[in-house]
Amino acid sequence: LDSKALPRPLDGDVESSSLGEAYSMNCSPRYVRLTTSAIPSSQSLASRWHLPLGAVVCPLAEAPDGKEVPVINFVKTGIIRCRRCRTYVNPYVAFTDAGRKWRCNICSLLNDVPSEYFAHLDATGRRVDLDERPELTQGSVEFVAPTEYMVRPPMPPLYFFLIDVSISAVRSGMIEVVAQTIKSCLDDLPGFPRTQIGFITYDSTIHFYNMKSSLTQPQMMVVSDLDDIFIPLPDDLLVNLSESRSVVDAFLDSLPSMFHENMNVESAFGPALKSAFMVMSQLGGKLLIFQNTMPSLGVGRLKLRGDDARIYGTDKEFALRVPEDPFYKQTAADFTKYQIGVNVYAFSDKYTDIASLGTLAKYTGGQVYYYPSFQSAIHGEKLRHELTRDLTRETAWEAVMRIRCGKGIRFTSYHGNFMLRSTDLLALPAVDCDKAYAMQLSLEETLLTTQTVYFQVALLYTASCGERRIRVHTAAAPVVAELGEMYRQADTGAIVSLFSRLAIEKTLSHKLEDARSSVQLRIVKALREYRNLYAMQHRLGGRMIYPESLKCLPLYGLALCKSAPLRGGYADVQLDERCAAGFTMMALPVKKLLKLLYPSLIRLDDCLLKASVLSDDIKNISNRLPLTAESLDSRGLYLYDDGFRFVVWFGRMLSPDVAMNLLGPDAAAELSRVALREQDTEMSRKLMGILKKIRENDPSYYQPSHLVRQGEQPREGFLLLTNLLEDQIGGTSG
Amino acid sequence: MSEMANTDPEGIDGVRMTWNLWPRTKVEASKCVIPLAACISPIRHHPDIPTLPYVPLRCKTCSAILNAFATVDFTAKIWICPFCFQRNHFPPHYTMISATNLPAELYPQYTTVQYTLPNPNLNPNNPIHPDAAHPPSSPSPVFVFVLDTCMIEEEFGFVKSALKRAIGLLPDNALVGFVTFGTQAHVHELGFSDMSKVYVFKGNKEISKDQIIEQLGLGVPGRRLPAGYQQQKVMQNGVPDLGVTRFLLPASDCEYTLNSLLDELQTDQWPVSPGTRALRCTGVALSVAAGLLGACMPGTGARIIALVGGPCTEGPGTIVSKDLSDPVRSHKDLDKDAAPYFKKAVKFYDSLAKQLVNQGHVLDLFASALDQVGVAEMKVAVERTGGLVVLSESFGHSVFKDSFKRVFEDGEQALGLCFNGALEINCSKDIKIQGVIGPCSSLEKKGPNVSDTVIGEGNTTTWKICGLDKSTCLTVFFDLSSSERSNTPGTANAQLYIQFLTSCQNPEGHTLLRVTTITRRWIDSAVSTEELVQGFDQETAAVVMARLASLKMEIEEGFDATRWLDRNLIRVCSKFGEYRKDDPSSFTLNPCFSLFPQFMFNLRRSQFVQVFNNSPDETAYFRTLLNRENITNAAVMIQPSLISYSFNSLPQPALLDVASIAADRILLLDSYFSVVVFHGMTIAQWRNMGYQNQPEHQAFAQLLQAPQDDAAMIIRDRFPVPRLVVCDQHGSQARFLLAKLNPSATYNNAPEMAAGSDVIFTDDVSLQVFFEHLQRLAVQS
Ligand SMILES: [Zn+2]
Ligand SMILES: [Zn+2]
Repeated sequence: LDSKALPRPLDGDVESSSLGEAYSMNCSPRYVRLTTSAIPSSQSLASRWHLPLGAVVCPLAEAPDGKEVPVINFVKTGIIRCRRCRTYVNPYVAFTDAGRKWRCNICSLLNDVPSEYFAHLDATGRRVDLDERPELTQGSVEFVAPTEYMVRPPMPPLYFFLIDVSISAVRSGMIEVVAQTIKSCLDDLPGFPRTQIGFITYDSTIHFYNMKSSLTQPQMMVVSDLDDIFIPLPDDLLVNLSESRSVVDAFLDSLPSMFHENMNVESAFGPALKSAFMVMSQLGGKLLIFQNTMPSLGVGRLKLRGDDARIYGTDKEFALRVPEDPFYKQTAADFTKYQIGVNVYAFSDKYTDIASLGTLAKYTGGQVYYYPSFQSAIHGEKLRHELTRDLTRETAWEAVMRIRCGKGIRFTSYHGNFMLRSTDLLALPAVDCDKAYAMQLSLEETLLTTQTVYFQVALLYTASCGERRIRVHTAAAPVVAELGEMYRQADTGAIVSLFSRLAIEKTLSHKLEDARSSVQLRIVKALREYRNLYAMQHRLGGRMIYPESLKCLPLYGLALCKSAPLRGGYADVQLDERCAAGFTMMALPVKKLLKLLYPSLIRLDDCLLKASVLSDDIKNISNRLPLTAESLDSRGLYLYDDGFRFVVWFGRMLSPDVAMNLLGPDAAAELSRVALREQDTEMSRKLMGILKKIRENDPSYYQPSHLVRQGEQPREGFLLLTNLLEDQIGGTSG
Repeated sequence: MSEMANTDPEGIDGVRMTWNLWPRTKVEASKCVIPLAACISPIRHHPDIPTLPYVPLRCKTCSAILNAFATVDFTAKIWICPFCFQRNHFPPHYTMISATNLPAELYPQYTTVQYTLPNPNLNPNNPIHPDAAHPPSSPSPVFVFVLDTCMIEEEFGFVKSALKRAIGLLPDNALVGFVTFGTQAHVHELGFSDMSKVYVFKGNKEISKDQIIEQLGLGVPGRRLPAGYQQQKVMQNGVPDLGVTRFLLPASDCEYTLNSLLDELQTDQWPVSPGTRALRCTGVALSVAAGLLGACMPGTGARIIALVGGPCTEGPGTIVSKDLSDPVRSHKDLDKDAAPYFKKAVKFYDSLAKQLVNQGHVLDLFASALDQVGVAEMKVAVERTGGLVVLSESFGHSVFKDSFKRVFEDGEQALGLCFNGALEINCSKDIKIQGVIGPCSSLEKKGPNVSDTVIGEGNTTTWKICGLDKSTCLTVFFDLSSSERSNTPGTANAQLYIQFLTSCQNPEGHTLLRVTTITRRWIDSAVSTEELVQGFDQETAAVVMARLASLKMEIEEGFDATRWLDRNLIRVCSKFGEYRKDDPSSFTLNPCFSLFPQFMFNLRRSQFVQVFNNSPDETAYFRTLLNRENITNAAVMIQPSLISYSFNSLPQPALLDVASIAADRILLLDSYFSVVVFHGMTIAQWRNMGYQNQPEHQAFAQLLQAPQDDAAMIIRDRFPVPRLVVCDQHGSQARFLLAKLNPSATYNNAPEMAAGSDVIFTDDVSLQVFFEHLQRLAVQS
């Protein structure tokens, strides 16, 4: 396969919108995307599809201004749901019997309309109050839940911080950045005035902090009995932020200095985790872990793994990518049960067993942030930005999510960061707009008899304001009898998302090679099937043909195989980095994932020199280039952006003026030592403006800028050249 | 009251013996009934004791110290040890001695001398500097306060202000540590400057010394290093002494920190469910304090000062269940073996005592509560370390407040608290030491003078006295060798010798060695008891019998103290009385014995024998003080003194009898633990009418004032500060007096009483009846 001949996704992710009028009331694809919007009518048809059949759901995706999901208060009447299958009332239900009955679109049961919800039907059978009923006209609505949707009073937003203060955490500057960032976010944490906050720090001992509002300064309480952890205070380890604000401020102010001279090299991480659990288990909430050292003391202590090259390529290789100690999965299960979501920030310059640590995030609906060899001077800005985002983005608390679908089909598997509470209920202690979940479906019956299949995603959660709410997304898709239609209605983004999750999961029980080949095999089978379908009709011979909807799938497949979780062998990606990337990709929404798989490469020098192009005008400058070395002109300045970092590439022949303008006196230095900062030149301001604009377009992660000059090896190699995935060099064994 | 004339019966030596003339044989000694015992006040102040700034000479065989009783050959420059008769050469620096040029220790009147020794721990190159880390064996006194936080706010306020005042009184160089406890125990890291920081220990779990050291980060450097410590401080002189700078700070450096800490300190935050007691882990807190001192300050003077407001209900040392419906154990429960926590708690405090003794550290206990707090269980640790104990009803009460203040005051009122002491006894060959009753601990150092029978802390010739002060008193029990041969008259020396060596660290950090050498004469009592009788010290004998009876009550199951005292008293009277057989009316006692029966009568009625009137905590408290106070004070505890004030005469001693009560008298009773000013009915009426404020009744005002002044004087000199009760005849507080009086008039014989006197509602026998019985039994053949 010659990748250069393949169509390239230079326009990025394209959300399909070919279903037309009939399904105009579907929720936006930013919330729910099916891998194909044409559901096969039979199992035999489904088996010829070869690609995954399923959906990717991002229940809290950020909506553009004016398109926010409407909030409906049904507290008085009770929420209207199907008596049998519990489907929420939606635009696809049909009112009959003069408005006294409604038929469930999912299970077809005829339900009574409660008198409080009754409205007459007009001549066409539409309810007369339709214009005032967004739940009957829009695919996405949010119901305010009455008390029967609560097993306890809605919890307050709760942020708990577990911070490593051992020597490496001190030396890297992590503590300082974390303390400053948390402090700077205190005014913007969601949920004022109910927000709760608490801290534990740890090295070889566990340090709790009494933050009682009446104190003038916090009191540090050290517990050293690692084998028998207990909490030192009944209250005040978790406090109301607005009441204890001055104590919290005082704590964050002294945090960096109080451990400034700490020489402790140990990490009692497991006991610290248990401590946090004991403090949080009453309420639940979000636990943010800042881990710099491999856990070395007490329960959950980890050992160096993965330095034995002989294990790679064997059947045991996968074991390095899963936790060895059941403590981590068990702890994660406990956390989820008590509504605690975990985000892991890992910083070590050495192996820290992200496979184990990340498990905590994976099963609690959280996220892994990995900053290998963190140095505040270099990575501080990224951490600051991403932590700020984590703390200030709207968050749904103590949530569960379920996706229902019509008779005859069934969701069979779920993929992402969560824990299944029952066969189809995803427990999500804390969820936000940056999290997506994928699921596969299959036909339960040999033949589907309906014309349309309906899907409904319901996320029951506590909003930061303290309201219990249910966000409901409803979508419909036609049932088709033709494979060609399935291909036409295929959604590459959703397919790649599902493929990525399946492949990453496979690396947890198989060799990397097996995970890669299963992806490749399915793509090849699908394309062959498609060719068979049309080659006969059009006599196209040996040429490769793609349906328009899937034209970029082969290249994305290739990109997936070259991505960090799947790429190459032992030496190609550090074990921790591979695992961290795996955890990240399991949660990414479609757009973000596609950008990571096929990053953008754009030439900047032209627009920097052209005064007419404004930095705001991102459309004009983002003329994406193929990811191949041939795209690089040594007279040019290029920006590579995978959504997680920028690489700014300076061509060897780039005008020294440009370099001088952008870098000032540093222009001649080795670029690995140079940080990009705004110079007092028009061109520099413009570049910084462009970068800022790109970052603002996607705030979920921060792209720090790495500078490299053409020919600066090996830096140029690992920063950029290996990532030019269309080249042979990109991902060694691609 | 013959002792009143002799104001200093102990003399320069601070030694009083039951017998000042000793029978020759074990058999004769046992016939004396009252044991051979010496009560010593090892560091009592006396103006005539010389202080010698050099190292004493020791006998090369028995290591007794050169003393006034040594025979000196000035020409040969040899001294003969009076204990073992070893001839010792004087070292070169004694070459100048002669009959007219004697070193002080050889002056005949200096039977007690005191040496100040250079402090082996004080390194002249490392002077104490407030900013520098103290060397691990700094001679600064160390105080670790252990504060209960399970209290009502009012009590907590009292104890906090007492603590603040105490800290203000500490010398600048004193090192201070702070532990608080409730459900859990908190060790405060006073040296942590960024914020208040505590190490927390679980309250319901016994914790070993090693675990404490490790969890406080005081272990081997390199591994479990504490949070926020600084590397430079790890290896000070090659010794890890982090603990000193982290947990123990000079008072001058941490006074501010401690004051603000106390200001913010809250009572225990853990909820107490209704119907239950607060969770209080006194045992863990004390373990932790001991562990901290053991790691930071082994072998140097240090006190743990525990301020306890209730019973331990959590973890080791628990004395009662959490359920409020279970009362704290009483004497009856202890008797019936129905105190499920008692033995375990005592065992815990016994091991704590061992640890503290090993480290040379003291446990002081200040217990203030309406109910018991466990003094009975903790007594072993307090007594064996020479600690102070003060029991009161409230931290706001003067008994606590004023006593606590005294501990830290210096100047004339100072207790003269010394640290890390040791007592060593040398004695003549035929004397065996059975043991010591008092605030000390046996060091199990065997020797030829150790008796096989043990009384109190025995099996040794040296004792550890972790804490002692100028009033500390110890009772040493002696026995005689059973071998007849060496005691044959004529072959043996006519005199016996005993030497008491007491070393300790004084409040200034200097090491002192007090050497008291005494001699007494052997008597061949087989021939006649006449001589022996002259050497009897009845007051000392009474106190020794009280101490022995108390000890036996504690350790001998089913011991009947009253019977034992009666039997011994009858034996004493049979042996030393003069009478015709079976004729009670012929009975007389030599004046040297004449007061003894009354002492025994009062002892039988005292809190030491009639324990059921008190709680086990009170009994333990009374016994501890009985054992550690000097003879005069101990005698007052047994037989209170009563002084009568009236218009017609000067203040005079009154009979400890209900008959001493009169309407126009004021009585001043001193029973040691309380001082009662008792106004007769008429006096009280006059006072209520305000006569004392009228110029023409100045004499009345003076009469009212005199007992108050005398009471104040008693209170001023006493530790613990006694309770002052001012009451009127027939008032409810009058019971404090009546309980101590001989019931010569009871409701049984009330009609005979004179008007204006009082009556005691009791079935106890009166002194008169007691005497009649005694005479009858003593003369029985
Ligand atoms: Zn239904
Ligand atoms: Zn000798």
